[in-house]
Amino acid sequence: MLLIPCPFCGKRNESEFIYGGPVGADRPDPNAATDQEWVEYLTVMPNPLGPVQENWWHARGCGDWFTIWRDTRTHDIVEAPDGTK
Amino acid sequence: MSYDVTFQRCGISALFDLKGAVDAVEAWVGDALPDFPDRPNYRTGKDGKELFFIGRDHWLARAPLEQEVALEARLKPTDCPVDISIVRVSDTTTFFRVTGPDAGEILAIACPLDLHDSMFDAEAVTYTEVFGLKALVMRCKDGIEFGVEQSFADMIEEYLSRATA
Repeated sequence: MLLIPCPFCGKRNESEFIYGGPVGADRPDPNAATDQEWVEYLTVMPNPLGPVQENWWHARGCGDWFTIWRDTRTHDIVEAPDGTK
Repeated sequence: MSYDVTFQRCGISALFDLKGAVDAVEAWVGDALPDFPDRPNYRTGKDGKELFFIGRDHWLARAPLEQEVALEARLKPTDCPVDISIVRVSDTTTFFRVTGPDAGEILAIACPLDLHDSMFDAEAVTYTEVFGLKALVMRCKDGIEFGVEQSFADMIEEYLSRATA
């Protein structure tokens, strides 16, 4: 079980949160992007062996959305959101 | 196994959900509510009314149900500026009180948050989980009080009845 650092509430149990997926690339300009770039943006998600930036929603808490860096090998949260207590 | 606790289904309270920048909300509500808490997940109280700081730019005001009409007249939710939001949500939440020597035992099973006095003091109030549901948890005299979405109230009452049987 993870203890996830919410910037408003502090460390809370993983069960209070809903996973929002990895932080993907910025949305390219659809008028300037090639078909390949557009397909990659839509379909390719970061899946590294190591730290990955993820979105989490404190659904059963304060309701904040925030991002953390989690190491997929160890589940360690290697970087908490700014302002976390 | 039975626990040495008593529980009380308190029913609903007058509840108002307030959102917006703190300065704007404070300016609108004036002295109708207690001072705004300066620490996240804490509460303030005055004249039977309480104000909970439950999220970023988000507060919940609670008062006895008989004060609902007067409080609504003071807060004027339908007339408030567009940059803030005030909504009466009294009928959305049912409160329970679990009191007695084993109240902590019940909540230790129901809730993942550490509710020991040293970690969760008398003025703390927060949303967390109780029996897997989103719940607003706070201390009360000799125990813990929590509010759940009212449609789950019968289920929670059943859980608590089994714990005290």
